[in-house]
Amino acid sequence: MNRAYSITAAELAGRGVNDIPPELLSSANLVYSSPATLAFNSPGAQGFGVKRAGLAVPGSVMLLVAPACCGRNIAALGCEASLAERFFYLMQDDTDIVTGRHLARIPEAVKEVCESCEVKPSAVMICITCVDALLGTDMERVCRKAADYAGVPVVPCYMYALTREGRLPPMASVRRSVYSLLEPRKKNPAAVNILGFFSPLRDNCELYALLQSAGVRAVREISRCRTFEEYQMMAEANFNLVLNQEARYAAADLEKRLGIPSIELVRLHGTDRIANQYKLLGRAVGAVFDDSEPRRQAEAAVEAFRAKHGRRTFAVGEWLNADPFELALALVRYGFAVSEIFGTVGGANFVYVKRLAELSPDTRIHSNLSPTMMYYRGRDAACDVVLGRDAMYYHPDRPGVPWNDERQPFGHAGVRALFEALSAALDGKEAAR
Amino acid sequence: MKSLLKHLSPFAPDQSGAVSALFEFGGLIVICDAGGCTGNICGFDEPRWFTRPGAVFSAGLRDMDAILGRDDKLVAKLQAAMQDSDLAFSAIVGTPVPAIIATDFQALKRMAEKRTGRPAITVATTGTHHYDRGASAAWVELFRTFATERVPVEPGTVGVLGASPLDFSCVNAGTHLSRALEKEGWRTVRCYGMGAGLDSVRTASAAERNIVVSPAGLAAAKHLEKTFGTPYEVRCPWIPARTLDALPRIAGSNVLIVHQQFAANALRECILSIHPGARVTVASWFLMEPEFMREGDFPIPSEEAFVEAVESGGYDAIVCDERLRTALPRSMRDGIFDFPHFAVSGRLIEEV
Repeated sequence: MNRAYSITAAELAGRGVNDIPPELLSSANLVYSSPATLAFNSPGAQGFGVKRAGLAVPGSVMLLVAPACCGRNIAALGCEASLAERFFYLMQDDTDIVTGRHLARIPEAVKEVCESCEVKPSAVMICITCVDALLGTDMERVCRKAADYAGVPVVPCYMYALTREGRLPPMASVRRSVYSLLEPRKKNPAAVNILGFFSPLRDNCELYALLQSAGVRAVREISRCRTFEEYQMMAEANFNLVLNQEARYAAADLEKRLGIPSIELVRLHGTDRIANQYKLLGRAVGAVFDDSEPRRQAEAAVEAFRAKHGRRTFAVGEWLNADPFELALALVRYGFAVSEIFGTVGGANFVYVKRLAELSPDTRIHSNLSPTMMYYRGRDAACDVVLGRDAMYYHPDRPGVPWNDERQPFGHAGVRALFEALSAALDGKEAAR
Repeated sequence: MKSLLKHLSPFAPDQSGAVSALFEFGGLIVICDAGGCTGNICGFDEPRWFTRPGAVFSAGLRDMDAILGRDDKLVAKLQAAMQDSDLAFSAIVGTPVPAIIATDFQALKRMAEKRTGRPAITVATTGTHHYDRGASAAWVELFRTFATERVPVEPGTVGVLGASPLDFSCVNAGTHLSRALEKEGWRTVRCYGMGAGLDSVRTASAAERNIVVSPAGLAAAKHLEKTFGTPYEVRCPWIPARTLDALPRIAGSNVLIVHQQFAANALRECILSIHPGARVTVASWFLMEPEFMREGDFPIPSEEAFVEAVESGGYDAIVCDERLRTALPRSMRDGIFDFPHFAVSGRLIEEV
């Protein structure tokens, strides 16, 4: 095991989704936590992990109930995002983690936290970890008790890393948590929620205009809600648009509790596929969407990139705002080459692997988390442009775009922005030479 | 409430200390967790990770692994990762998950050694203690496992125990400590874990003396004294220049230093050399060895206690990591001099 494992798209597709090699499965190996993987290997390590995501509710604060080790990195998150003042910690000691006696202290701690805030928080989000997963803590009950005692809504956020590949992974669960405070309200047929992300879509995303053209007057995202009252308005939505499958569980919960149905869209990078998805969305909501202008702009950006930089060869990582296999497939369909993908293959994206196998059979697929990635050396890779922060880590000498901004790209505007960013990166790199 | 942090964030935990101690020795380190602890260690507490990522892995435990105690599966994964590699040993570091399910680390050690054919170290950290406890346990295990042979003492050779970026907020602390000791006349300085590798550990008995620069290194020094008769002394020969440069500006005669105990003691001597009449008290959130405390020195058990101690102490100046300022009421935030402590704030200093 002294070289990085990889497999071609053709080989992988030939084996089928039920015979993915163990080298690509994180559950079968030790997990390599290289700098390329920190954002997603740990449910709270960087970016929007459970801790930061739980604070999406406006005016809320978070009480992390855990051993010290679980809250350590918040110092970094807090500095980056000015969130430090919204985090509080109830530390568990050795006896707590075995007996669960810390549970009795939670109501008092919640009250003390609220009293220490200059403005009373709208809610206290209680983040619990693997410890309480193993203790089998009924945190819903504890939260009810704390809410009664402190006079503030108290919501559990389950940062159970142990269940990452289970039925309800932490990032799906926390999405349910942040919408759980919405209370029934009269429906507004002209209101829609966008679910899926903890930061807004880019302002120029055509989805806003398309919904407006169908008569929608209020498009709400939790990250754009400045106050708890604005957040509560999300309960009046006629339907939810789910843009990230990790929000499915939250959407199902909202349908059950508030009667808000949902429609799921996928983030795609082929303009024909995007157009088709909008057509289907139009049918579902009884409207005809005209996406021709944003589509033209996206295709012009692709063409401008191709005209200036030629048929480039990409390496695509997974620490970016896209599914790497879908993005790689779109690049290949645009006429570019993809030499390697760093990604996690599963049932949801295997369809892209199969299509890649037809169009680009020699594309090599690596698992970021494989212990063999310790031996990965990118020097000999064929790529000359890189997408994703992880891929940029592997290829620090090649021009690239991290494409992991907090503002979320989507639709034609996302494709356009991606190729504009790629052009800027290549222009910058070539100018530097 | 004693266990509540309202202004500070948690300090580096024991598992980070263990990994920090073992980081540079060329072993395969497995953190016995589901992924989150490893993310915190590699992504935050081990600043060397970003420039020199090594063989640090998460066990990738899932709920059923924990519930069923699948140690055999963990060892099989470890064996696969060690295969065909030139990694000298494996180390398994505990977290809250094995603490809850009462993992038998001794059994894990035996299983790992048997399956890999190479030495294994286990450190039963729980994630609930501070970094120095984990580092201390890791140092002892490292020397117990590898420093088994007595070699002739080499005059002029000194060992440094207890150095880590968590203690000194500097990835080059080993170089600074070595330079300071070379200036004292030592010909060969072995700064374990920050420059000196596994071969130096194997021949640890060659050191004429060991210098213990943080409480985390004390247990290992005692072990080496007991095993090989190597004497040790407790002192910290290097303090960051930026902290020393600020000392002449300290006004008043009642000073509190908050840091790891041995660095704080060293700084006390520096302050007393500038302000001979000053009353200088040392306090620490971390291990406080009674034999190296002076009258008035005290441990800090909680954020609440820290505020109370500062309120009642009437200090003219506090030398501590600047991050601690946020724990104090605004009226008490004057007269703070920065003495960075990575285990507190995660801040690094750059000293050439």
